[in-house]
Amino acid sequence: MHIPDGFIPLWQCAIYWIIAIVAIGFALRWARENLDERNIPLLAVLAAGIFAIQAMNIPIPWGTSGHMVGAALIAIIFFSPWAAVLVLSIVLILQGLIFGDGGMTALGANIVNMGIIGGFVGFYAYKALKGVGRIPAIFLAGWASIFLAAIACAIEMAWAGTFPLAEGIIFMGLYHAVIGVIEGVISVVVVLGIDSVRSDLLADWVSSNKQGTLNTKQEVAK
Amino acid sequence: MEGLAEIDREARKESFIHNLDGRIKLISSLLIIIYAVSSTNLMILAIMEVYLLILISISNITPKYALKRIALIIPFGGFVALIQPFFQPGNVIWTGLFGWLQITDYGLFFGALLLFRMVVAVTAIVFLSSSTSMQDLVASAQRLGVPHQLAMLLNLTVRYLFFFYDQLENILNAQSTRCFDIFSNKTSYKWRLRKVGETITMMFLRAFEQGEKVYLSMMSRGYSENTSTYRAKTSLDSKDYVFFSATVLVILGLQFVNMFFL
Repeated sequence: MHIPDGFIPLWQCAIYWIIAIVAIGFALRWARENLDERNIPLLAVLAAGIFAIQAMNIPIPWGTSGHMVGAALIAIIFFSPWAAVLVLSIVLILQGLIFGDGGMTALGANIVNMGIIGGFVGFYAYKALKGVGRIPAIFLAGWASIFLAAIACAIEMAWAGTFPLAEGIIFMGLYHAVIGVIEGVISVVVVLGIDSVRSDLLADWVSSNKQGTLNTKQEVAK
Repeated sequence: MEGLAEIDREARKESFIHNLDGRIKLISSLLIIIYAVSSTNLMILAIMEVYLLILISISNITPKYALKRIALIIPFGGFVALIQPFFQPGNVIWTGLFGWLQITDYGLFFGALLLFRMVVAVTAIVFLSSSTSMQDLVASAQRLGVPHQLAMLLNLTVRYLFFFYDQLENILNAQSTRCFDIFSNKTSYKWRLRKVGETITMMFLRAFEQGEKVYLSMMSRGYSENTSTYRAKTSLDSKDYVFFSATVLVILGLQFVNMFFL
């Protein structure tokens, strides 16, 4: 889903860059206001972790492989889409600048797709669905974050004139509907895993509130 | 996975290009990329590619490594470029079996244009990242005006990138000693996916806990909200100006040729 350089005309790149810069500005302000200062280094170290996680290839039935993006996961864990915007922006900047994964002129568009759309879709999908149940909510948040980011990517490419709209939406949509399942499943496993060992890391709204049982477990351990 | 170590190895080498100021290399590479993206002439793009390959060859970067990296990044964009001839409007120059597949002249040109632009941009990034260390890149970005909070985040991320690649490799090695193979069909797919999820949970927790540790050690050394990273002032010397002028001249020259001769 990383759009390379040359596929989007410069004037359109400028629009995405402006949106991305404004969003990063808001995300930094969010970090200053809502987190104590410890979370600034924490987010950076987490971004490095996400970088490594993204480098891990995960097999998909039918022979191909994909990798995690993690926007929905971060938005859910931190209880804010801005956390996802910030972490994904850092990851995408470094991927573009050092690895050539995604172009520098297209960086704005990539941040818009994976960071902003991924983070916000993941966050609000979870928020809207958590009444239904925690597991389906996390799964669908992860799935939708990938699927809609891919659709946005297809629309941007169509606007740029590098891919026909209908075929782009079908092709990108189908492929990422499958990749999204992986993202969803792994998001569920990760959130449940964190909940069972370090539920203090989760924002209250995600944790299962089994504080009581945890305490007794800890007492038993003592 | 091995990419990171290779990039670092190349960036640590010594050469005229490696010794240039990071800011100059960063701006020059970005200028080249922006010009390449705005260019619509294949000849101009080919000359730019040659210029970049010359820079790579005088900078002591292993040529095989550079070419391999360029080739590895191409596939996704290459595919999109490859299908351009089939749907861009233009004069039909070839009609396939039963007439459902057509190639147009404009489509052929446009596909080549996308491919050329992308190759030039990727070569510029390979040149930049193989001749400048990651820390230097981030420091240069900060000197060029990236806000200090963002620069600090980038700086810390770069610092821990290697750490987490090692951590992931440790986990994967431990798994393979237990004969675990993500891509093996001998175990059920669901189970494998769960194991991958657990690996990622582990990575996430390690990242989190490392982040807390880093924060505490930074605190005990006096870190606060308003702390900014110290950057020693570096001044540009003549070789930096020479390199920068050369790049700007190449771009201006190509633009001149493009306007009056092509």
